[in-house]
Formats: sequence, structure tokens, C-alpha cells
Amino acid sequence: MSGEFEVSRLADIAFWAFAALAIGGSLLVVTVRDVFKAAVCLAGSFLAVAAIYFLLQAEFIGVVQILVYVGAVSILIAFAVMIISNVSGGSRPARGRIAAATVAALVLAAVVFTVYNTSWSDISQIEDEDALAGLVGTYQEAELVSVDGNDQERRIVPADASAYGARSGVMIDSTGAIGVLLVREYVLALEVLGLLLVAALIGGLALMRDRRTEDQ
Amino acid sequence: MTLENVLLVSAILFAIGVYGVMSRRSIITVLMSIEIMFNATVLAAIAFSRFTIPASLADGASPVHTAAVRMALTGHAFAIFVIAVAAAEVALGLAILFTLYRARESAEITDAATMKN
Repeated sequence: MSGEFEVSRLADIAFWAFAALAIGGSLLVVTVRDVFKAAVCLAGSFLAVAAIYFLLQAEFIGVVQILVYVGAVSILIAFAVMIISNVSGGSRPARGRIAAATVAALVLAAVVFTVYNTSWSDISQIEDEDALAGLVGTYQEAELVSVDGNDQERRIVPADASAYGARSGVMIDSTGAIGVLLVREYVLALEVLGLLLVAALIGGLALMRDRRTEDQ
Repeated sequence: MTLENVLLVSAILFAIGVYGVMSRRSIITVLMSIEIMFNATVLAAIAFSRFTIPASLADGASPVHTAAVRMALTGHAFAIFVIAVAAAEVALGLAILFTLYRARESAEITDAATMKN
């Protein structure tokens, strides 16, 4: 179908554009001398990566990325840059820049070598009908379970054309399915994560406490 | 947009982060580079979640029911955990940076060689 072809072609173009934005922004972050400019470039890079998440049908993660990274982390870093005044003198490069570039290039080479020399199990290579149905019916099943919570009712809704359209660019809601996954399979990790966030909150407060003014 | 392409972008971002951590002296820039590396990792997780399937599903040998939910969105769950940990990390890192700045009037890595007091 020509329509599908055009959608995938468009997604390709968008992907490479956002990838270029993300990589360029990150490069600016590590090369620009002005730290405030680096923080702005970082926010732009985060936005581009969020757009790539949307292209990969991870719209929930994309929104979380914008909320947490662009909204919170970048602003926090910008505040830090403004409060620490003498940083405006610039972020001077350290001595071993060539060594750093060498190590980074080696890491990149190792990862790229692994990526291109591994035969990943590809979604489009599944031939088993049931497995494919299970894969595509995931979202419907999760919805079913979350509605009535009855294990008897767990079954896989067969694949239909619209659901399988995920691969040709049609978006499916994954937010509910992620919620079910988090409270079913990863509930322990979720609790530990809450503990970690509380610990980070208390630790940050304790670190920022000014003892001199407190004693007065 | 294939798995290899997304992983390539992820690897490039990670390498940039590695370079930034080692080549910069300002603690804030180092923190930003760490965030870039976190981002690259999350991107890889999302890409795997989108494009690959576990071997047990590929050969159709396992009961699909329980595996289906677990596999198709595991990368998303990983991404959420990584993002949360990264947010906690940057908050604590900046708190340490402020404390250091108050004590040393400096925000450079080399001045943080001894962190006592």
C-alpha cells in the first residue's frame, strides 16, 4: 500500500531529523564554554529524544521525558547555573581531552560493532500465528485484566488490522498497560523506587541545610 | 527506522556523554553529560521494547498469555525506573554541588578532590 509506505518514509525522515537534533544538542552541551547555553542545548536535546520516543510508539515515556527532563531537570540545572555565579566564567576543559575522546570513540566502536554483529529477534520475523496474536493483543488483554481483575477472564484478543497498524504508524494507548505492568510484575521495584525518592528528598534537604544560620 | 539505527543513535549519545564526563571541569557540565548517558540508555530500552521479542515468544513454544504483557512493555517499565532514578540523582548531585560551592567557592571537579568539610 502506498499510504503505509509514505507513513513509514515520513517516520524515517522525522527520526533522522530528531536524531540529528539530539546528537547536535548533546555535542554542544559538551563543547560549549558557556554553561547556561549548555543547559539550554541540553533541554533541546531532551526534547528531540522525547520526539524519538513518540516515533517509537512510546508516547507515555515521551510525555514523562518532557515532564521530568525538560520540565524539571533542565530547570533545576538552569537554576544551579544562575546561583553559582562564577560558573559564567566558563566551563574550562580538563587536560586529558584527547584521552577522553579516545575512550569515547572506543566505547562507541564497541557498541556499534555489537549492534551490527548481533542477529536480533525481529518482530517482523515471527511466523507463529499464536505468538503474533499474543504480541499484538497485549494492550487489549491488559485492558481486560485491569477492568475486572479476574484471572478467569484473561485471554488474548486476536490480532486485527487496526492493532497491527502499530507497525505502520498508528498509535495504540500503552499507558494503561504500563500501569498494570508496574503494579503486577514490578510492584517491588516500584515500592523501592518510592523509598529511593523519599531518601533523595531527605538527603537533599539535609545537604542544603545551612548550619550557620540555623544555630542563631 | 530500524532497531540498528535507533541503537546507533543511542550509542552516539552515550559516547558523547562519556566524552563530556571526562573532558569537562565544571561539575554542572559533568552532571549534564551523565543525564545524556541516562537518556541514551532509556532510548536503547525503548528501541528494544519496540523492535524485538524474547526467544520464547519467537518459536511459539511458551504459553503466550503471561508472557505477552511482560515482554511488549518491559522496556517501558525499565525506562520509567531509569528516569526516576536519574531525577533523584540530579537532585542529590546539585545539592552536593551547592554544599561544595558554599565551602569552596568553586564548582570545579579538581577542587572537590577532598570532600571532607
